[in-house]
Amino acid sequence: MDKWTFGVTMLVVGMGGTLLILGIMSVIIALLKKIFPYKKEAEGKA
Amino acid sequence: MLEAFANGFSGLLAGFMHLQISNVVMIIVGCVLLYLGIKKDFEPLLLVPIGFGCILVNIPLANLMEPHGFLRTIYDAGIMTELFPLLIFVGIGAMTDFSPVLENPVTFLLGAAGQSGIFLTLALALALGFNELDAVAIGVIGACDGPTAIYVTAKYAPHLLGAVSVAAYSYMSLVPVIQPPIMRALTTEKERTVVMRATRKSVSKTTRLLFPLVITILGGLIAPMGLPLLGTIMLGNLMRESGAVERLTKASANEIANVVTLLLGISIGATMDGKIFLQTQTLIVLALGFIAICLDTACGVLLGKVLYVTSKGKINPLIGAAGISAFPMSARVVMKEGQKYNKKNYLLMHAMGANAAGQIGSVIAAAVMLSVLKGMGII
Amino acid sequence: MKIELTSPIPGKIMKVLVDVGDVVNEDDEVMKIESMKMENPIYAPAAGTITAIGVKENDEVEVDDLLLVIEEAG
Repeated sequence: MDKWTFGVTMLVVGMGGTLLILGIMSVIIALLKKIFPYKKEAEGKA
Repeated sequence: MLEAFANGFSGLLAGFMHLQISNVVMIIVGCVLLYLGIKKDFEPLLLVPIGFGCILVNIPLANLMEPHGFLRTIYDAGIMTELFPLLIFVGIGAMTDFSPVLENPVTFLLGAAGQSGIFLTLALALALGFNELDAVAIGVIGACDGPTAIYVTAKYAPHLLGAVSVAAYSYMSLVPVIQPPIMRALTTEKERTVVMRATRKSVSKTTRLLFPLVITILGGLIAPMGLPLLGTIMLGNLMRESGAVERLTKASANEIANVVTLLLGISIGATMDGKIFLQTQTLIVLALGFIAICLDTACGVLLGKVLYVTSKGKINPLIGAAGISAFPMSARVVMKEGQKYNKKNYLLMHAMGANAAGQIGSVIAAAVMLSVLKGMGII
Repeated sequence: MKIELTSPIPGKIMKVLVDVGDVVNEDDEVMKIESMKMENPIYAPAAGTITAIGVKENDEVEVDDLLLVIEEAG
């Protein structure tokens, strides 16, 4: 495999993959926040 | 008798006789690093041991980096095994409050954009003729995260370790100088003055506890090669958020992190032997690292602009600059820049969100990079 | 008109730089809040006279907690 293929793969899969994973994470966190909403009284000091 | 004296005396001069120009230059470099650390307050916790390690290893005949030399022992035990950067990561996890990013999960995306410089610089390095693994190590300077850079470089391009870590740490302290001009160049006055109110607390304890677990399992499954990095930072964070193991959290964030920082610094310095370090290659690595951080900032701000548009002007694109993982420096830079244009604008919490996302982003980017390398059969 | 200044960031009040009765200009620094280990200047939202201060030094504040009230001049 030549460097050109490697470079382009890294750019596309690497950059895309990073964005995708963090995108998924942001969705999951948003979901978690919906499932376990913040309640002032239940939290105590935290 | 006289001859014995002369021989004995020559033993004391041998060091001078073996001193090479490269050693002298590197001793000066070591002193410059010490100066920057002590007098200029550039990441002193790292630059002081690195600078001193650099001086030590360039004194001839002491053989500190030869087998059984004490620097070699530390290096083999902690850098070759990747143990030191990982232990630092437990500490980072234990120190970092990820709640700003949890308050506003969309900032995760900024943390991803802030890593683009890694991949762009990697491509640039390939174009300049570096081989694949060297290019990976150079690109990872753009993670703007010392331990990640050291982890990747020690494993796949150990001959670049000195240059890469010096670049990573010194540019990190230059973030307040490097970022603002780029931020200004890419945004309009109107965009910079967008006021973002801090959100009220909206993250429950359950969410904060589940966050490290979910991220570890999910991230680990997608990019297993990066699990050591992700797992350690999340372990630290779980300990912190649980509040159940305060002693371990404190030890990770303070004692362990401090001890490891010392050992890490001195053994990084020890890789800066003049014969290896003084090559044009090193200068190119330093230059590329600089470009990487500029590109990170630019991509972060550009994604910020996209979010500015999609949110109909509610998101200030400046916070995108905090998507790099120089934590918490770049969040501070963003706060200051924002306030320059509108004194009643307090972007700190949002910038912290992007910045904490950048921490995770840099780990994920490294993990993705390694997993892609693995998938392509290069490692 | 009364203008309330609420805390824009969570943190700890490091310094209160004004007293009740002081006259301030818009964008004068009125407080310092330590947040995320950073010292953040807090500026007056409008020109006028300080009529009440809701916090004292070393108080912990949340977002939207009342910091002070300004009676707007004119």
